[in-house]
Amino acid sequence: MKIAIASDENGLQLKNHLKAHLEKQGYDVSDATSNQSLDLFDAATEVAKVISNKEADRAIMIDEYGVGSSIVANKYKGIICANVADEHSAEMTVRHNSTKIITLGSGIVGNKLAEKICEAFIKADYDGGRHQIRVDMVNKMC
Amino acid sequence: MKISIGCDHIVTDLKNHLVDYLTDKGHEVIDNGTYDNERTHYPIYGKKTAEKVSSGEADLGIVVCGTGVGISVSANKVKGIRAALVRDIETARYAKKQLNANVLAMGGRITGAGVIEETIDTFLETKYEETEESKKLIEKIESIPMNEELIGDEQYFDEFIEKWNNGGYPAN
Repeated sequence: MKIAIASDENGLQLKNHLKAHLEKQGYDVSDATSNQSLDLFDAATEVAKVISNKEADRAIMIDEYGVGSSIVANKYKGIICANVADEHSAEMTVRHNSTKIITLGSGIVGNKLAEKICEAFIKADYDGGRHQIRVDMVNKMC
Repeated sequence: MKISIGCDHIVTDLKNHLVDYLTDKGHEVIDNGTYDNERTHYPIYGKKTAEKVSSGEADLGIVVCGTGVGISVSANKVKGIRAALVRDIETARYAKKQLNANVLAMGGRITGAGVIEETIDTFLETKYEETEESKKLIEKIESIPMNEELIGDEQYFDEFIEKWNNGGYPAN
């Protein structure tokens, strides 16, 4: 599984921490905003492109609160993105919403919680079944 | 204030509680459903609730589902909507103050009643404070091309509902 990670300036430190943590666990992690100083709009747009172009299977985006990036990413066609701050949401949103992108707030979640959220997100699989009708509806919207 | 509210069948009781909570505080509430616990689909209610806000009929929107994700993503797919999925009060404060978020989303299976109520209070009370940075960010969000065909179209999801009714989706 290919994982993309990205951030604006506020999320840079947590991004680097999570990239190192996930790589240590053996995941293939690419930095979608490496050496770039982007605002949350441009960074979230970059992440949406990476997922739309299937350059990664899952993506993690970090800004100070997470909420701005998720608003941006969800404006793009075919993108389902969740701002999460707990492991349960990270798992359930993959299982039920077929979410490919999560956003985290570097000012909201600490390093340890962020590590566990990312692990839960990556390990979860989409349940399909009855959930597909809702995903079809969302994807028709934009 | 005039508040548009919506939920899926997982958290109807919470939504009903929030309708009473807001009404008791003197707000006018548009309840977009769902109204019972029969299995339904969150995009229907995310879209309905958000459209009342984007049209100006309501001042702000509140959406809830299990995690808050599905219904907030649906609301956010409506042009002009900035739906903030939050799990704490400070994120709601920020979302209103700096992003001028117009829909608040929470997960009924994630966040407890006390935090949900205070998050709503904070979201409604906090004023948007425009800065050069926030203005630019909102303009950029507005510049993303959005599908406008869906606005006000109550038959928009019929093809999927028909497929569902004909057993076209697995029931598990």
